[in-house]
Parts: sequence; C-alpha cells; structure tokens
Amino acid sequence: MANDIKISIKHLYKIFGPTPDVALEYVKRGMNKADLLDQQNHVLGLRDINVDIRDGEITVIMGLSGSGKSTLIRHLNRLIEPTAGEIRLDDTDVLSLNEEQLRQLRREQMSMVFQKFALLPHKTVLENAGMALNIRGYTVADFESEAVKWLARVGLEGNENQYPHQLSGGMQQRVGIARALVSNSPIMLMDEAFSALDPLIRSDMQDLLLELQAELKKTIVFITHDLDEALKLSDHLVILKDGEVIQQGDPQEILLNPNDPYIIDFISDINRARVIRVRSIMEKHVDNDADYDGDISEKDNLEAVLSRSGGDTDMVFRVVRNGEMVGSLSMKNLTRALVPTDVSTAENNLTG
Amino acid sequence: MATYDSLFSTLGLKDWCSEGKSDGPMSMADLLAKTKGKDTEPESLWDLPFPSMDTLNESCAAFPQSRELTKGLEQGFLAIKDNMSLVLDPITQPLSWFLDGALYGMLNTPWWIVIPIMLAVVFLVTKSWKLVLLVASSICLLAFIDYYEYAMQTLAIIFVCAFLCVLLGVPIGIAMSRSNTIQRMTIPVLDMLQTLPPFVYLIPLIFLFSVTESKLYGIAIILYAIVPVVRLTNLGIRLVDKDVIEAADAFGMTPRQKLFKVQIPLALPNIMAGVNQTIMMSLAMVVIASLVSAPGLGVLVLRGIRNLELGVGLVAGLGIVILAVILDRVTKASLARINATHKH
Repeated sequence: MANDIKISIKHLYKIFGPTPDVALEYVKRGMNKADLLDQQNHVLGLRDINVDIRDGEITVIMGLSGSGKSTLIRHLNRLIEPTAGEIRLDDTDVLSLNEEQLRQLRREQMSMVFQKFALLPHKTVLENAGMALNIRGYTVADFESEAVKWLARVGLEGNENQYPHQLSGGMQQRVGIARALVSNSPIMLMDEAFSALDPLIRSDMQDLLLELQAELKKTIVFITHDLDEALKLSDHLVILKDGEVIQQGDPQEILLNPNDPYIIDFISDINRARVIRVRSIMEKHVDNDADYDGDISEKDNLEAVLSRSGGDTDMVFRVVRNGEMVGSLSMKNLTRALVPTDVSTAENNLTG
Repeated sequence: MATYDSLFSTLGLKDWCSEGKSDGPMSMADLLAKTKGKDTEPESLWDLPFPSMDTLNESCAAFPQSRELTKGLEQGFLAIKDNMSLVLDPITQPLSWFLDGALYGMLNTPWWIVIPIMLAVVFLVTKSWKLVLLVASSICLLAFIDYYEYAMQTLAIIFVCAFLCVLLGVPIGIAMSRSNTIQRMTIPVLDMLQTLPPFVYLIPLIFLFSVTESKLYGIAIILYAIVPVVRLTNLGIRLVDKDVIEAADAFGMTPRQKLFKVQIPLALPNIMAGVNQTIMMSLAMVVIASLVSAPGLGVLVLRGIRNLELGVGLVAGLGIVILAVILDRVTKASLARINATHKH
C-alpha cells in the first residue's frame, strides 16, 4: 500500500523556554535533553522529527509520557507552534498559514479526538456531535441528520438528547469520535483517545476504529503509550523517545527487527504470538505441489495458527491471500519467531 | 524646649525653622499643656516621643502639622470636585433615572400585581414551589405588618444595582480573564473596594453629588457590590477546563465563538455564585446607604438608632433578614439548577 503522502513533517524542532531560538543552536550542535535543561534552562520537546503520514493509513505515534508525542500531534494543527521545521499538508505549507487560513484548516481538514474527551458539558450529545458544523455556522436543524447518523454508527442510537455527564467514559469517547466524524474532515488526530478507558472498553473502541477506518479510509494519526494498541491499529508505527524518532516503519518489521534497546524493552512484555502476523514471517514462494497441512491467511496472527496446529511442530501451512497462494509457513519457523528478542540478538541486529 | 530641637540645629535648619514661625492655630493638646503650664519635655529616653509631624512641629515651627495633611487632601479634593462632577454627573445620570423609575414602578403598581409577578419570576428561575411559598409568605408577612412599602423600596434598589453590577462586572471580569496585565491592574482596585469600610464610600460621594439625588447611594452600592461578580467571572473563565478550550481551538472556533459557546457557559456556575454574592452585598450596602437618603428598610433601622425606637429598629432589622434569606435562597436555587447541567 504505497499511498500518497498526506502530511509531511520535516526537521521539526520544538524547544520550550524563554529564548528557544538560542537554545535551538545548541540542540542542532548535539546538546542532549538533560544538558539543555541544566545549562540553558530550556526543555527539549522535539528534535529533528521527520515523518511522512500517508493518506488513508493509521499512523501511530508511540512513546512513554514525556517523549513528546502529544506535543508532536499538536504541531499538525498548530495548537503548538514549532521552533523550527516544516509541516506540509498536501501542497500547503501549514506553518505559513495566517490565522484565518489556519482556522479553515482546523475546521475542514483536521478533526481531533482527545484523551479526556473534552466535550461541552452544557450541550447535549447531539449538539456535541455537531459541534464542528455548528462552528461553521450550521444550526441544529441543519446538522441533526448527519449527527444522528454518525452517533448511530458509533453505537449511540437514542442517546442524542442526553448530556455528556450522563454517559460512561466509553460512551463519551464515542461522542468524541462521532464529533470528529461529523466534521467530515479527511484527517483525524487522536490524542491518546482510548487511554482513559478501561481495557475491555478500550479493545471495543479499537475494533470500532478499525471498522470505521476500513469503511472511511481516513488519514488517522493516533497517539498512544500502549504498544499492544499501537500494534493493533497501526499501518505505520513511529516510536518516540525523549523527543526523537528512534524507529519508524511497518510495525511487524519493528517487532522483528528492533534497532534500539529502548524498543526491545518495550516489546519484551508483549504476547508475540498475538501481534506477529503470518505475512511477516512466511516464506514467499508459490510451490503449490508440496504437501500442506492446511490453508492460513497471511493476515492471521501466530496465535491462530498455533491453535490450528494443535501444538504439532511438524506441520507446514499454505499461506493464501484472497484465495491465491503467496507462500508457506512451517511450525518450526513460527516457533523461531516466538523467541523473544533479547538484548544480545538485538545487538547482533544493530551491528549486522 | 522641645525634644527634637537638637536635631534641627545639627542639620543647620534653625534659620529655616524660625523663618516659618507664625502664630498659627494651636492644637488642643498644645492649648491644654499651656494652660496647665506643664513642661512637655521628656525626662528620660523612656518618654521619647515618636518623631511625628506634630512633635517635629514643636521643635521647628516651619515643619507642617499633621492636620495640614488632612486639610490639604480636603482642599485638593474640593478643588477638583467641580470638574469631576462636571464629567461624572452626566455619565451617572441614567443611574438616577433607573433608581427613580424602579422605585416609582414598584410603589405605584398595586400590590396584587407586584407580588404575583415576583412569585412568577421566582418560579421561573428556581422551578421550586417550596421557594415560591417561602417568598410569598415572607412578603405577605412584611406587608401585613405594614412594611410592604419599605421592603419594596429596598428590593427595587437592590434589583437595579445588582443588575448594573452584572452588566458592568461581567465584561470587566471577561477582560481580566483575557489579559494578565488587566488582571494585575484591576485586582488592587478590587481589593481596595472590598476592604474600604462601607461608610468611607459615602464621604467623597456626598461632596460630588447632591444628597437629594438617588445616584449618590446607587454609586456607593454598585462600587461596594460589584467586586464579587468581577472576581468570580474572571476566576470562572480562567478555570474553564483547558482540554475543552483546546478542543474548541482544534475545531477552529474564533475567539468570539469560544467566549460565547464555551467560556461563558462553562463559567456560568461561578458567575452565578458571584451574582449571588453581589446581591447579598447590595442588601448590606442599601442599609448603610440610608445614611445618605436611600429609602427602604434601612431608614427604619436608622430611625431606631437615632430616636432609640427599639421596636422599629428590631422589626426593620428582621425585615432585612427576611429579604436576605429569600434573595439568597432564590439565587442559590437557580445556581443549583445551572450546576446540575454542568456536571463533568
């Protein structure tokens, strides 16, 4: 899937403090975050970020708190102004927009979903969902059908006239998503949208998002600190640490070939069988003559294949995509892929 | 010989002192001392007087006495008073009209129209029959003991002044919330208005305006009662959830939309708490303002004090308490209704 680049971020820097321009010079000369804080009393938010966000994909930006991920997403619609760098949306230079153009961009191009929902407490669910259209000057009567449609789509049929405080957290976030969908913007920015929800609801919401995405093909930038969530949602994964991108690419690729001890730390806890997919480890060939123990889809995760094999390590499966064979996977390879990447093999990867 | 003679001689100011020597009016203390023929010079360090203006004046006649300070202030005020009232008079004239109009309207509409209208308003803002009953019985009680007219005068003044406080105070509060500079400049003024003893408001106003005009007490009440609504509007807007403000920005609201669609509605509980305080403070001030001819229950309290009419004073005081209770309950109930729709 080589889609067009929708948003392109180039050499983006953000430094918080009274004289960021001066501090920028030090940062460009290689001063690290701790020294910058100690010696210059400036906080390094982001350092030399280069990310291309592709049209119709979910780009997940992952990092721990303080890694700058929330700062980064706020640069896309300029809720935070960068210290240096370039952000392009299609052919527009986002940073050169004046106030009015920026407002148009926020109204029509990008919608946002927030960790703490940020709904208007004094408005009904319906009015909240139609907020973006209301801002553009439409009345409730104008946007009602659109808002009701999307509320129903996110599972909030019949809640239109309730107030946000009458809903549970998960339902409030559904309103938040409906609000972003009603605005009909091609880009959705989701800032830790599911982090405040409990695990079961979170998983439901992730499924909902994937379902909506399959249908709508929006460009989604999703921020999270949860690796499982990142692996589940992302088409493109960007890992941030201390304001720097330390690895980005296909999430399966990152999982199998982590290039930084920080990432290895991150992935050491996850259930590899659940997140690694067949397509990432299969052997690509079309030898249809060999004897296979069954067909599996390239999209299956290894857990599904494991349960299919019943623990028999001699089996070899045929991998198919849309009914056509694309490769094969032996249980031996599968088992090998489940061996966790420890620091020593990672160092081999790094040096080799 | 006075205590600080040596101070002026060491400073070489002896000549300047004797130059200013004149037979100015003596202070009462001087006069007493003189008639008693007592030497005022202290015997020991223990009795050393503080080098105040009056003490220094004893040693050096050219040094001003402290009463010249108050006198100078008074003369300065009197000198600019005419120009000030030239400007302030026309600006504040509408206040007189409002107050006179409200008083005339309240008193010349028959009671069987005024009371139902008030009860209807109470029901409209509180949606509570219990409060309507409370207000009805309170007003009927006051009317039954022939205090209806006084109570209505007090209420009319409070309504006008509290309304103007909100009309002026909310925009000031909004301006404060939007600019730290304005906030820094306004807070000392608010602090001063709040701590100045209520009587002190009256003194300069008596000089500026004629005592027969109703705006005199109107201004005093507004100055005293505007503070809470300004403060709480500012606070309310500053306390609006940052996440909601960010959402408003992210969806492209203009600053104006943000103010009217987000900030004011979300600050409303705090603003209404300010309105409640403002109304209660208007009531406190309207009693004191009876000293400068504000009509109402305060006049009766004043009569009670001046003529030692204990019964009149006590009943009027009780009437004020009843008004305070119903005003407080009604505004609090409407505040609670707003709060209910603002839960997070």
